[in-house]
Amino acid sequence: MLRYIAQRLVQAAVIVAIVATITFALIHLAPGDPFSAVMDNPDVSETVRQTMRAQYGFDRPLPEQFVRYVSSLAHGQLGWSFSHERPVREVLGSALPNTLLLMGVALLGSFAFGILIALIQVSRRGSVTDHVLSALSLFFFSMPDFWLAILAFLTFTYWLPIFPSGGAVDPVMHEYLGLGGRIVDRLRHLALPALTLILLASAVVARYQRAALLDVLPADYIRTARLKGLTEPEILRRHALRNALLPIITLVGLSFPALLTGTFFVEKIFAWPGMGYAVVLAIGTRDYPLVVGGVIIGSILVTLGSLLSDVLYALADPRLRR
Amino acid sequence: MAAMRYARLLCALVVCGCVGTESSSANNSGGTLAISTGGDPDVLIPSLVQSVVGAQITDMIYDRLADIGDSLNILGDKGFVQRLSDHWTWGADSLSIAFHINPKAKWHDGVPVRSNDVRFTIASTKDSTLGSPNASLITNIDSVSTPDSATAVYWFHARSPQQFYDAVYPLPIMPEHVWKSIPPASWRASDAAKNPVGSGPYRFVRWIPKAAVELVADTANYRGAPKLSRLIWSIAPDFPTALTRLLSGETDFIEQLRPENVPEVAKHPELRTKQNHTLQYSFTQFNLRDPVNHARPHPIFGNRQLRRALTMATNRAALVRSVYDSLALPALGPTVRAYATTDPNLPQIPFDLPRARQILDSLGWRVTTSDSMRSRNGRPLQFTLSVPSSSKIRIQFAVLIQEQLRQAGVKVDVEQLDYPVFLEKQRKRGFDAAIGQWSTQPSPGAVRGSWGTAGSRAASGNNYGSYENPVFDATVDSAVASFDPATRKELLTKAYETIIQDAPAIWLAEPIQTVGYHSRIQLTTMRADAWWAHIPEWSIPADKRIPRDNAPPSAASSTPPALPAGQKTP
Repeated sequence: MLRYIAQRLVQAAVIVAIVATITFALIHLAPGDPFSAVMDNPDVSETVRQTMRAQYGFDRPLPEQFVRYVSSLAHGQLGWSFSHERPVREVLGSALPNTLLLMGVALLGSFAFGILIALIQVSRRGSVTDHVLSALSLFFFSMPDFWLAILAFLTFTYWLPIFPSGGAVDPVMHEYLGLGGRIVDRLRHLALPALTLILLASAVVARYQRAALLDVLPADYIRTARLKGLTEPEILRRHALRNALLPIITLVGLSFPALLTGTFFVEKIFAWPGMGYAVVLAIGTRDYPLVVGGVIIGSILVTLGSLLSDVLYALADPRLRR
Repeated sequence: MAAMRYARLLCALVVCGCVGTESSSANNSGGTLAISTGGDPDVLIPSLVQSVVGAQITDMIYDRLADIGDSLNILGDKGFVQRLSDHWTWGADSLSIAFHINPKAKWHDGVPVRSNDVRFTIASTKDSTLGSPNASLITNIDSVSTPDSATAVYWFHARSPQQFYDAVYPLPIMPEHVWKSIPPASWRASDAAKNPVGSGPYRFVRWIPKAAVELVADTANYRGAPKLSRLIWSIAPDFPTALTRLLSGETDFIEQLRPENVPEVAKHPELRTKQNHTLQYSFTQFNLRDPVNHARPHPIFGNRQLRRALTMATNRAALVRSVYDSLALPALGPTVRAYATTDPNLPQIPFDLPRARQILDSLGWRVTTSDSMRSRNGRPLQFTLSVPSSSKIRIQFAVLIQEQLRQAGVKVDVEQLDYPVFLEKQRKRGFDAAIGQWSTQPSPGAVRGSWGTAGSRAASGNNYGSYENPVFDATVDSAVASFDPATRKELLTKAYETIIQDAPAIWLAEPIQTVGYHSRIQLTTMRADAWWAHIPEWSIPADKRIPRDNAPPSAASSTPPALPAGQKTP
């Protein structure tokens, strides 16, 4: 198992290096530079622009910039974000917990909600409830994440303003609330982005879980359980669900990249101060180090998620350990 | 719905025991102004700030020696009001101005403001390692001497009508004791940049990047305490979210409503709107040089008559009405009505579609194809009009211009570009035509950089269309050098007439700023160059305050930033 993990870690490192290199090249090839928008002022002279570029090393040839970047990476430095005027490590360090909180809540919520829906569907298979839930799952499964996010934003902050319109906390009042008030404030801000991701991801989980449950229901041990006199809910919960969870472990790994990508859009729309929000804004301002740093952290998260899924699967299924 | 929200906020505050004392409501001072904005400040250092939000915040934290008056006069010192300087004296030869520093003026950390701070501000801005965008605005200032701690003498290279404006307008004064130990190239990244210490009416409290900036009233300020206790810039990712925050009661003020937002704001009885002139104008700029080979004239726009025909084929009044409704006026030229030197009746190239068609025919551009488009020697009369995809207004203009020029037989391809790409294309002169917008300075002389020959020939000049006319250049130079207001206006009018008739651009709109705000805020005058200039005089009556108006100052605001090692608080 350790050798397997080591092999996967080496593969992950190679993938991250390739992704970082491609991102570095692409973002530098895009027209514009970090000082295009900031310097949109008729009073700014060329000397000033050149001084700014020189300060950050953008006057150097691209290969030299790349070598410098790789060198700083080797020293554990992700570079300097000029849109935040802070080290990229600090920017992403403060953003990552917010992203992980959002993704964690979304992952837990979507799996809990998705499995619950699948159990309801399977226990009432063929009924109107089953068909309605299938249709709803398909609806959310097919829906683009940004579109659902915009819809949720408009519905609950504009037409029916019961949730705040963005951010992780109320910038005006949060500092002046007590502990309870701060927790409530944070939960109110978390609700809409988390709900959007939960709805999107739980649709996938529900469809996978329903199919997996239907696969195990004809099995002999289920028939035996029925003969023992167990009720249908007990059979589903105690026997069918446990065995049908194996494919869902794979789904954890598969849904990680999708969830991370979805988080980028959702964070932007709800101004959730996470990594996705920081990177999307950095693309607009051509904050090269922050974009590349965000992509590196993102690809590490994705490869680790995939590795975790494989390891869990191997632990759950001894045949894969050979 | 907003009332419900306030009720919920009040409940939350009561439950948490965090409601501020009501004593602050007893007088006229107090209250919180939460401003919706769609972007973060770039930096909070006056000599480096470029973004509008950054300028709003730094203008509250820092003070100038004197402030331009509401009339925006830039000749001599007429209309300027005292700030850090309580009086000033002109040198006998007018090549120097001695500013006397108000003895009561103090930095927010308690250190008195002294003349060496003034000298330091000018010297550091001129330092090329800092890369200040304001350096080009103070080139006429040779140096600042400090005969004593309360007197700063500005020395100028040449006598100029706007030398007082040059001395005080571009730069608020910065504290030498905070910045002198930091190399200018490191200012942006320094801790001092993240905890600015000024002498203005508001003190810095906190900046949460991409979320909020908070300032609190400097109650011990030498000019007296401002009326509002707290200012918060609530930073949204984009304009729609910023507007939603105003409509849902999360914020109190938004600086620029779009025409389609005004009816929406009107549905909220607690909100008001107010209009204000600005120093902005928009235009469709033609590239007069070939985008591929800049040595050659543009195959279409190199011809003055053709540019005039395109202007004639464009119904600018209808365009502005369609895009802005009543929230803009047709632009007069490369100027704005807020300038005292601008004649609002500047003669324009009239909208005359038949005449435009005649001119195009006479130039050999004839309708030959079945789709009624013109061509000459097999080359269609067709060009690409670039717009930034982030600007809904400019996209609307582009689509309408496309349709209007189609009626003259001209094919326009609208190209929407990511903003940095749009700017890059303009800088490299690699465009046919582009819809641009300038926000200018109170000095009409700024037109030299954006439409003069110098701005065209400099490698990275801002005259992207490469319009060059020595008559225009010379007339503007003469106007800017003139001390007589009437002569100045006459010369500028002549310069504007010259450029309007040369038609290097179709002058589109001069937007009228429409702000949206909560009715409990009592606004005063808003200046065309800076609507925020009078915020210290805005107020919220005690009987109209809502819970957030009474929130106590945060812990951060009550503790002045630490002084550098070895320095004692007086």
